[in-house]
Amino acid sequence: MKLWRRRTDDIDEEIATHLAMAAAEREERGESPQEASRSAKREFGNTLLVRETTRSMWGREWIDRIMQDLRFAWRQMRRAPAFALMVIVTLAVGLGATAAMFTIVERVLLENLSYPAPQRLVLLQESGRRGEQEWTPWPDIQQWTLKTRSFEDIGFYTSASGRLFLEGDSAAEQISQLLVSTNLFSVLGVKPQIGSGFADSKSQRFAQAGDESTVVLSDSAWRDSFGGRKDILGRVVRISGQPFTVVGVMPRGFSFPWNPSQPQVWTAAGFRQSDDTRDRPATTYNAIARLKPGVRLSDAEAEMKVVQADVAKLYTDPYSRDLVTSAKVKPYGDSLIRAEVKRALLALSGASGVLWLIACVNVTGLLLARATVRQREIAIRGALGASRWRIVRQLMIEGFILSAGGSLLGLGLAIASLKIFAHNLATQLRVKGVMPDARVIAVLLVLTIGSAILSAMWPALASARASIEPALRKSGGHASQNLEQRRLRSLLVVMQIAMSLMLLVSCGLLLRTIYALRHAPLGFRTDHILVGSMAIPTYRFAGRNLIGDLYAPLLQQARALPGVESATLMTEVPLGQTFRITFSFAVEGNSADAVRKRDFRAQLRAVGPDAQKVFGFKMFKGRFFNEGDTAGSQPVLVVNRAFVKEFSKSDDPNKVIGEHLLSFQKDRRAIVVGVLDDMRQVSVAQQSQPEIEVYLPQLSPTSGFYIAVGGVAMDLAVRTERPSSSILPELKTLMRKASPELANTNFTSMDQIVEDSYGNQQIITRLLIVFGGAALLLCLSGIYGLLSQLVSQRTREIGVRMALGAGRGQVIGMVLRQAGRMLTAGALLGFALVYFTGSIVKGFLYGVAPYDACTLAAVGGLLFASGLAAAYLPAKQAAAIDPIEALRTD
Amino acid sequence: MARKNEYKNRIELVQGTLDMLILQTLQWGPQHGYGIVQALHTQSEEVLQVETGSLYPALHRLERQGWVRSEWSQTESNQRARFYEITATGKKQLASDHDRWRRMVGAIAAIMQPGGKA
Repeated sequence: MKLWRRRTDDIDEEIATHLAMAAAEREERGESPQEASRSAKREFGNTLLVRETTRSMWGREWIDRIMQDLRFAWRQMRRAPAFALMVIVTLAVGLGATAAMFTIVERVLLENLSYPAPQRLVLLQESGRRGEQEWTPWPDIQQWTLKTRSFEDIGFYTSASGRLFLEGDSAAEQISQLLVSTNLFSVLGVKPQIGSGFADSKSQRFAQAGDESTVVLSDSAWRDSFGGRKDILGRVVRISGQPFTVVGVMPRGFSFPWNPSQPQVWTAAGFRQSDDTRDRPATTYNAIARLKPGVRLSDAEAEMKVVQADVAKLYTDPYSRDLVTSAKVKPYGDSLIRAEVKRALLALSGASGVLWLIACVNVTGLLLARATVRQREIAIRGALGASRWRIVRQLMIEGFILSAGGSLLGLGLAIASLKIFAHNLATQLRVKGVMPDARVIAVLLVLTIGSAILSAMWPALASARASIEPALRKSGGHASQNLEQRRLRSLLVVMQIAMSLMLLVSCGLLLRTIYALRHAPLGFRTDHILVGSMAIPTYRFAGRNLIGDLYAPLLQQARALPGVESATLMTEVPLGQTFRITFSFAVEGNSADAVRKRDFRAQLRAVGPDAQKVFGFKMFKGRFFNEGDTAGSQPVLVVNRAFVKEFSKSDDPNKVIGEHLLSFQKDRRAIVVGVLDDMRQVSVAQQSQPEIEVYLPQLSPTSGFYIAVGGVAMDLAVRTERPSSSILPELKTLMRKASPELANTNFTSMDQIVEDSYGNQQIITRLLIVFGGAALLLCLSGIYGLLSQLVSQRTREIGVRMALGAGRGQVIGMVLRQAGRMLTAGALLGFALVYFTGSIVKGFLYGVAPYDACTLAAVGGLLFASGLAAAYLPAKQAAAIDPIEALRTD
Repeated sequence: MARKNEYKNRIELVQGTLDMLILQTLQWGPQHGYGIVQALHTQSEEVLQVETGSLYPALHRLERQGWVRSEWSQTESNQRARFYEITATGKKQLASDHDRWRRMVGAIAAIMQPGGKA
């Protein structure tokens, strides 16, 4: 800039020199000094113009002009701070909502997997009569490796069973351990940062002899448990009591499977004889492959289908063969996003986009109103020679400054709202600690420019197009809008009303959904229950009985706490989403009945004493477990009504009571003694699933499913009137005393669990309330702004009407009628929009139809009532006009 | 109307020739803006009158292109003025401009005097 100023001075001096020389020569010729200087100037012409054109030769005059425009825009804002603030806040609402949504979308849907060329990573799955199979027997993966050509390499992995604890330098921490093929890291394209990882050979991907007890740590496991010590390689570490030798540490930021909830460690899967079978293999695996460069997904899948047809022929059991007749190839990245989450996020992004549009339209209205006030000023600028382009640019730059202010404030709003919704985001979308990053800022920048163009372009063009003369001729301050502009503004308000109605209807439908969910019969009590989810350190109880040595004393102590009414244990409380056991029948054969039984799946749950006291489960028929059921007595089972329906294809509980469904040991067959009434198990919106319950006190280490049911996870549920803050420390002390690993047990209330299980509806509803509320406010301010401006412009006309005998009521009616017309038009347009959004919203609804008349009527009523209320203020202002005053002005 | 009469005897410069004329004038030595106007005026036998509104933008354009360079120094009458001097590339440019101009004049002459050559 400095250099720039010098250049301008330079040219000025040059021109002055020229004039001086010309004048001097004229004086020499005998002219008087004044005459000489005057004629020299005349001959020179317009010095300013010469200066400007000369300077423009250096091609940087635009910077100068823009700086000028910026300074001017800043002065304009300072002159009308209330107006500027209004515009900035309005834009901030729209931009903030959009930025917050994009932050979430970016994190969930556009997340960058930190593997090289992640788009070439694919999951391979078998599919058949019962859809896609998540896990594959190893022999099939082996066949794929041998027979396909689309993939660089195929790796496989599976989770180690149970809850596992890595014993670090100071404490044991829960980790997730994966059993992986030795080539997994090379398939992913990532090498350890320390050590060389697992020895790999082309011929087979299981651990080389002697390598079964090696482990590769994730960076976080290495840092958390071993303080990042450098001498980690070759050390023997214990995972749930088992020794493993560390052969590597993966780089920071690496995880597989992606985005785990616990630190991960990887162990080379050891080959067992049971791996080499397709008939009920003990372990099955997930297969992940890297596509060769240039191979398309569809080509790879076509090849896999051909190969799989041959693989299926290797199955000897027709039932199993039917399940694996075809194959699927899926991008690994896609498998990480749940379809309903994706749908919810896209719908919410749409809603935030609508809110942004409403904000822009609102600002357009505000700027148009402002332009009327500034008509004279702009006309003067035009009269002084500002080109139309210059005026448009000036107004656009003002728009940009306002928009930039809006986006700064919007960014603040986005950050604040992400903090407010952090809990919902974590439980329903599984995103933690999201904050806007560079990409979000970039999008915000684009939106800022978009908002400026969208909202300021139209008013700017309209102002520049307006003819100069009439504006100048009019007396100051009373410049009026022409009919066309007034219509335009009404149209903008109508658009806002329509879009707000659309958001509000969606919001209303979701509110009805939440109401329906809250009133859905859960089948159990949720009040005054605290739940602690324990990860069981089974290895500490090796050779002992968990039931007698851990659970019984824990339960006894919990019951003994003051203020505890009752307490129980359960593998997973209803709606808990922590640990699910699936039960299936061990049936052979391919008769119709056998196939039906083999297809049958039920949830298996172990419950402790007093479960009924804590949760108030209702029996449909028969009895629940009681003190008479012990480790020595006849094993008994309780099923639920959905089980009866599915199992016996009838609603008759007697068809199931007395049945032998499973055996605790070879000679201890359990019989069904009762049927529970239906209850919600997975989510509030999901109907009852078949379920079998076993009684925890009847289990012993010799029971076939002792570890699966008793040794992985257990929920402690306590019914107490005491506030959680007072009883929690006591419960935590209990846990710590029972076993040090249990100190980290996470406690929450049953009410919160129910709340969290509403699923996406909860967060969608909350966000829609925010979006809808903001839209309504913007829309009301639009109505108010337009009408109060119209009233002030029509002061004289209203004065005349009142002088001619119109009453206050008639004037109020006149203004309200105008509001009513806009509201009616907006509502009609809005209902038309609702017709289109209905199909999007439909998927999120429970217990309410997408075009629910009640909701539509209620939202319409709300909009009319609040719209008329917003119009009442200007109407009153109009009625208060003193006809004599009004006629005297001007 | 008086102004129009004043300009009657002058000929508007052909598009693009101003640069060439300025460079040509500067061949005799460094000169300031006023001097260039005067030189063109007298050398054209008072036919050409360069507009200052064209001259100064042209000078600065030439300077930006590197065909002339400028320096503040004293005139004979002890006045500070900005002197323009032709550069080496400016001279090359002048030569090529001159060449093109000669061909152009020849071509125009051939059209305007069809019988002249024969």
